[in-house]
Amino acid sequence: MSDHITEESNFSETKEKEKEKEKQKEQDEAEDEELRKLLLSDVQNLPSTPPSAVESNFAIYFALDFMKPRHDQYVYRHANGLCVIGLAPSHVAFKDEGGITAIDFNVGKSDRSGVKVTGKRKKNAQHFESNTALCKVSTKNDSYIVRCCVKGSLLEVNQQLIKQPELLNASADREGYIAIIMPKPADWLKIKASLVSFEEYKKLREVS
Amino acid sequence: MVRQDGYQFDSFSLEVSIPPLILQNEASLWSYMQSKYGSEPWFREKIHTGCVSIKDALKFSLINPLEKLLDCKSSLCPFRIRLTYTHTKASEGVAKCSDNGGSCKRRKTGESDSIGEGTLSSSVEDESFDFSKLFPKSENEPCNFSYNCSRTPFYFGGRYLKYSRNVSQTRWIIDDERMGEASVEEIIGIKVLQACGGDNYKFHAAGREDIDVRMLGPGRPFILEVQNTRLVPTEQFANDIEKMINKEENKLVRVNNLKLVGSDGWNLMREGEGEKQKQYAALVWTSRPLKDEDFQQVSSLKDLKVAQRTPIRVLHRRSPLEREKIIHWMKMETVAGSSQYFLLHLCTQAGTYIKEFVHGDLGRTHPSIGSILGCRAEILQLDVTDIKMECFLT
Repeated sequence: MSDHITEESNFSETKEKEKEKEKQKEQDEAEDEELRKLLLSDVQNLPSTPPSAVESNFAIYFALDFMKPRHDQYVYRHANGLCVIGLAPSHVAFKDEGGITAIDFNVGKSDRSGVKVTGKRKKNAQHFESNTALCKVSTKNDSYIVRCCVKGSLLEVNQQLIKQPELLNASADREGYIAIIMPKPADWLKIKASLVSFEEYKKLREVS
Repeated sequence: MVRQDGYQFDSFSLEVSIPPLILQNEASLWSYMQSKYGSEPWFREKIHTGCVSIKDALKFSLINPLEKLLDCKSSLCPFRIRLTYTHTKASEGVAKCSDNGGSCKRRKTGESDSIGEGTLSSSVEDESFDFSKLFPKSENEPCNFSYNCSRTPFYFGGRYLKYSRNVSQTRWIIDDERMGEASVEEIIGIKVLQACGGDNYKFHAAGREDIDVRMLGPGRPFILEVQNTRLVPTEQFANDIEKMINKEENKLVRVNNLKLVGSDGWNLMREGEGEKQKQYAALVWTSRPLKDEDFQQVSSLKDLKVAQRTPIRVLHRRSPLEREKIIHWMKMETVAGSSQYFLLHLCTQAGTYIKEFVHGDLGRTHPSIGSILGCRAEILQLDVTDIKMECFLT
């Protein structure tokens, strides 16, 4: 008789637990629904091609005919002051057959790819002028010097290029960037005057 | 004065500070007695049973009248009353101490009184200095007296949600201009401060998100420290404040599970902060349409190791390092019937830069969504959907 009673009370206990589990599950599902609605709340009117990360986060400038005709380079400047330097699509090196085949950071007095910059204060960073050589890119028959364009501290060069110089041909404007430079605010203002905007660049070089 | 400021309290703790001159006199008297009666048995007995210092005697005599005046008992509690007695005549002993090069270690900037006390008491321990040489000075001028009272800080713990993409976590001002329209710490802090009449607050959170990233799901743990409250916060008080914050019209921020926490709150929050996993939902665009195989490939990657060089957007203030982070799992779902837009759910190790994992940061984060799918990928919006920590969940 007593066994029967404990069995019954056990049974009603598990029923209670099941009800609670059901309730919890419903609550969780309701919360998930709420969350999904929030996640998708701004999903109307998506553009077919959104702006790229570079377009959204950097101000894009170009240095045309830098020290030599058709030596065009880009300068992407972030709101925090850092400048990414690279080859513009209209650079003369891309006109050579086969494009760029090699890159060498050992120019001027040091190998730019060897310097280790450390710490928040960017110790050991070399200070360069805007016409200091950054590297040399070579094509089948020729080679061209790439320069800093911006006076400042050299924080890093793109090491990937040493192993994969073809990045320069495929995406010079992104993964094929050459270096990152940190100019002082006063030095930036001085050089900015000689750079052109993206719009002006498109007009001057007749690029679409 | 206590009522003037509107302090609410049910007990107080008394602190007394007396001028160095009195301490000096006391010390020289002791020295003298020691040298004269040191060998006497009754003197040695007295030392063993303990003697009451002048400071303690003053405290004892003040406590009872204060208790009667304020109508409550004194005990060790957060509400402190400090009575400071100062004297214009600087202590002669202090000058002598510094000449002897006595252990003047406890120098504090600011109040000269504490310097005096500090050097004096450490010199008293330095037995080589013979105080009996200093005759007790009799003074006819009374002391100056000042008082103040304050409360030790209270701590509130809870979780916050951020629904706006234009609200920063902490106050963010560049060149006198505020970034964003508000900050989480001000929205919560100002309400709490006003409600319990504190002097100021400090906001501490378990990690942070960008101004344009929403904080959803159960929310991010935080602790709000409030200094010198006039009222004593209770559990009910915390509940009321939580309701008040959540009732705000513009619904920028929400607070859950707000309650008073003790010192254990800190441990809960800081413990394993770097190991805890975070979950996100990102709206991603790809430069080519995606197929089922792409979705499956992404879902199949478990505990993916990602090498992230310091993102360019923080490189100006962080060390240039390569940090290895783990993406525990990923799941993609299509949105708005598009073949190039999708919602990417991912669970990552604490400290992973999600935006850079999507667009690759010019190849400085590898692998990235773009490199995995063999195309260009951009991130349009990011939401934090879960912070997997145990604290402040109820």
